Amino acid sequence: MPSWVPPVALYMLKGLAVTCELALISGVAALTLGVVLGLLLATDNKLLKRAITLYVELWRGLPLLVILFFAFFALPAAGIRLTGFQAAAVGLTLWASAVTAENVRGAIQAIPAGQMEVARALGFGWIGAMGLIVLPQALRRLLPPTLNLLTSLIHGTSLAAQLGVLELLEASRRSSQRLVLDAGDSHGLAIFAAVLAAFYLVCAPLTALSRRLERRLQS
Amino acid sequence: MGFGYQLDPGYVVAHAPELLFGLVWTVVLTGIGVAGGILFGIGGGILRAYRVPIVSPLVAAIVEFIRTTPLFVQIYFLYFGLPELGIQMPAFTVGALALVVWGGAYNTENFRAAIEGVPGHFSEAARSLGLRPATVFRLVTLPIAARFAMPSVTNTAIETLKGSSLMLAISFPELTDTTMNLISVSFRVFELFFVLGAAYLLLSAGLSRLMRAAEHALAWPG
Repeated sequence: MPSWVPPVALYMLKGLAVTCELALISGVAALTLGVVLGLLLATDNKLLKRAITLYVELWRGLPLLVILFFAFFALPAAGIRLTGFQAAAVGLTLWASAVTAENVRGAIQAIPAGQMEVARALGFGWIGAMGLIVLPQALRRLLPPTLNLLTSLIHGTSLAAQLGVLELLEASRRSSQRLVLDAGDSHGLAIFAAVLAAFYLVCAPLTALSRRLERRLQS
Repeated sequence: MGFGYQLDPGYVVAHAPELLFGLVWTVVLTGIGVAGGILFGIGGGILRAYRVPIVSPLVAAIVEFIRTTPLFVQIYFLYFGLPELGIQMPAFTVGALALVVWGGAYNTENFRAAIEGVPGHFSEAARSLGLRPATVFRLVTLPIAARFAMPSVTNTAIETLKGSSLMLAISFPELTDTTMNLISVSFRVFELFFVLGAAYLLLSAGLSRLMRAAEHALAWPG
């Protein structure tokens, strides 16, 4: 093994840990927020629904990179100062929560309205009927798109490199630049191939699982 | 506005020519990405759906790899990795190539699913009328499959538009790169983000309207 590999690999592994941390934090935040917004979309409150639809259309419609830049550069001008990591987490959460809200809305809509009506007729409150009757049935349909979203979210963390967050891609970029300065050779081919491989290894199980669940749903 | 920030819409007006250039590059990149992606997608979809020996699993593996890795890293690989093999491409070529390959991978899946979704009795009927397999595909299967594929192809097209913003990483002066450069020299964040966001929302609305028009033109007669 060439002598440049071990320190670079170690540096990249530390970056991978930051990638996982960023994906985990924004994933949990986005799923929580997205499920709440998606449930609210299933209520009858017109004004609330319009506001949430606007939120969903906005953050789903913009390129993720633009959202991250917005969180990093525009929020400070409004008095909210964030580190690169925090801005990336906020941006990823805005985007992924909008996607989740839309997924949840779709999954709930696919459950026949009679389920809700019968539950309400049996004396369940809206929350009870939604939480105990409708949502558990919607969950089966919700799982594949949620796994796909998690894959996209993990992919999306690489954009945080553009905010200077020392995640996998940024760690690799810096390693490559450092190698140019030290020895005049960037080793870009090996390094960026390794980044691709790392993302593949992390995401392949998720996409495989999603595909299996989807196939089961269809049969 | 508070926080000592004074809105100055005049700044955007003064820099409209640069922003328009960026917009044009974004449209060009997206156009190439969408068109190339559809062509590769049809080709890949055919190879996959008809399980052409050796080629089909190869295409499947490539498609799977591209879909499972981030477009952003793919761009880095093409721009900073490939020169080591002596393949040095300008930013525009890398951007267009990355979008075509990425869109092609997604569209391969879209067209594979669409071709496999065409009921078998259509092609059986055409075969029994004496048409050759290639003719059956060209006149019967593909026209039906193209209609099935439209919604997912439209999604991929819109993702291609959004993906074009990633060319900022290789300093290609498309819309996002142009706008962020203006922000870094002027700090006119709100005006410029407003313009940037509105541009992408309008572009994607326009793109989906264009695709819907195509879908309409393709709609079944009667």
